[in-house]
Amino acid sequence: MTSNPVKDRAPHVLVVRDLTVSYRTAAGPVRAVNGVSFALRPGERLGLVGESGSGKTTTALSLMRLLQESAVIEGGQVLLDGVDLLGLSREEMRQARFAQISLIPQGAMNSLNPMMKIGEQLRDTILAHSAGSVSKTDIYARIQKALESVELRGSVANSFPHELSGGMKQRVCIAMGILLNPKVIIADEPTSALDVVVQRQVMETLRRVQESLGAAVILVGHDMGLMAQFADRIGVMYGGKLSELSPVRGIFRDPLHPYTQLLIKSLPNLEMKENFRGIPGLTPSLLKPPPGCMFHPRCPQAMARCSTDIPTLVEMKPDQWVSCLLYDKGQS
Amino acid sequence: MTTLLEAQNVSRVFGTSLLNKSGTIAVDGVSLVIKEDKPTITAIAGESGSGKTTLARLLLGMIRPSSGEILYRGRSLLGMDRQSRDEFRRQVQAIFQDPYESYNPVYKVDQVLTLPLRKFRLAKSKEEGYAQVEASLRMAGLRPEETLGRYPHQLSGGQRQRIMVARALLLNPRIILADEPVSMVDASLRATILESLVKLKRELGISLVYITHDLTTAYQVSQSIYILYRGSVAEVGSVEKVIKQPKHPYTRLLVSSIPLPDPDVRWGGDRELEVKSSEANTRVTEAQGCKFANRCPFVMPECHHAAPPLYRTDDDRAVACYLYKDSPIVSGAEIATSLAS
Repeated sequence: MTSNPVKDRAPHVLVVRDLTVSYRTAAGPVRAVNGVSFALRPGERLGLVGESGSGKTTTALSLMRLLQESAVIEGGQVLLDGVDLLGLSREEMRQARFAQISLIPQGAMNSLNPMMKIGEQLRDTILAHSAGSVSKTDIYARIQKALESVELRGSVANSFPHELSGGMKQRVCIAMGILLNPKVIIADEPTSALDVVVQRQVMETLRRVQESLGAAVILVGHDMGLMAQFADRIGVMYGGKLSELSPVRGIFRDPLHPYTQLLIKSLPNLEMKENFRGIPGLTPSLLKPPPGCMFHPRCPQAMARCSTDIPTLVEMKPDQWVSCLLYDKGQS
Repeated sequence: MTTLLEAQNVSRVFGTSLLNKSGTIAVDGVSLVIKEDKPTITAIAGESGSGKTTLARLLLGMIRPSSGEILYRGRSLLGMDRQSRDEFRRQVQAIFQDPYESYNPVYKVDQVLTLPLRKFRLAKSKEEGYAQVEASLRMAGLRPEETLGRYPHQLSGGQRQRIMVARALLLNPRIILADEPVSMVDASLRATILESLVKLKRELGISLVYITHDLTTAYQVSQSIYILYRGSVAEVGSVEKVIKQPKHPYTRLLVSSIPLPDPDVRWGGDRELEVKSSEANTRVTEAQGCKFANRCPFVMPECHHAAPPLYRTDDDRAVACYLYKDSPIVSGAEIATSLAS
């Protein structure tokens, strides 16, 4: 494996190697994630962006092994501190969730139990992951501390979800995600249902608790503005593959992949009015993926070999990885 | 210049009952003007609960105002005769947020296009109808051969939304109300759809009311903008003034919260605004006085006593905030008319 952005020398908390996931559908299997590899350093914030159907959410949920029934993880490794999560038993994986790797889901309103008070839901999370008995005062203290860390009053523990605003519910989800001090937090579009002002405040909270825990975060989403403000590094997904993986300034200032270049140009800004540069064409059908590079039917720089050869992720500049034949000199 | 669509000091209250006499004021005394001869794009921006969708439904005649009036070509939507009502229904079209919900999943997409043709008897023959359908699809940036004969689920979100644009175009409207038309569409397609909306104004002379929570796209497409806060206009004016040099503390907070796609432009740079903007008290509304007072870092005693009127700080801007009380007071209708001209 020469072309793999996983460097063995760096101390990584999470290493994903050649992750491949398919969904069984009536029309045949659909490969939603196709050989994705990346690694996370402790405390790092990685953004995973892509359009709908690019495989970003499937990738994130695979790490938690929380995919729907029709999904099959066909291959790859998810190494958390050297332990392959894909090889764990169901019970071992259940224990690892929240304690080692946690998920802050999209749309907090739907992930909290409407019949249970917030405090009870947090308590259950603690109890489900403690081997021996935990004292009531200890649980109470941990819940209060978790709520405090996401800037909620302790009295929120006595509230039902419907009594809270959207932003407060999302903070509860963050509190739950960090309750057991995980090493990796996956946040799947955590603020997509929130207003801009609340969104900024919630993201600032997430950033602060993540920094104080020293946990790594994978932020999944499609809002490039949010990514620019939050992420250290960004992985751009297209058609189930990583097309580029670079530090945030590399993505915004010096994008390498033609798709990233068009994506950055298409973003509206406050500098120029009526500046519309969409990306022509449609996202590829995963049922009948195009041969060669997934992006070649839409790519303005496509060459003849793009429709036959499959590009691999290579490191073009220090820490800037791209999967594009334009950068593939020599070999064919 | 004659006025096409006008909201005159409209309010809408929900949920009044025997027990709850006051109810929730969703829209509170808003005036808005769209002129006939000069096509414009007017943005109505606000967060959830700002009343922007209620205002859209009022403008479309889907709900009645509790007070004030909506006029189309000078006639109130209430008590319009059948012929004027049909004319209004045809000339004022809407595009909604989730294009999937506008379709019947068991019918081919052709149905949403041919139905309005039949309803308004716009085509003399089937062939003529199809020619019109194809022309409007092309105008919306779609290839008819790739869209007709398909089911909604076989198309992408961007295609489905553009079919809604094509459908609105079929009726040769004067105004299109677009309620969050791109918020569910992927980034790469967003620009294309916004471009087709701007093209409608430029090439077909159709005015648009663009309802959104996204100030960046509002700045991109529109000339004037209304910033709503809890049903009231907080600031109104040209986008250049309101978005580039916001004056109302709420507008400043909104603009400063836009996550710009640039890692070197810091988010929430306007730290002066942070003082009271914790969300714990966003739900409380002052019984009287300025609705933003309890979140406002610049709050003064008078803010709690009476709601501020609009102060005309510039030719092309008015701000409902006592910080600008040295400027002349202007009525909502007056500033709306001057922005539309």
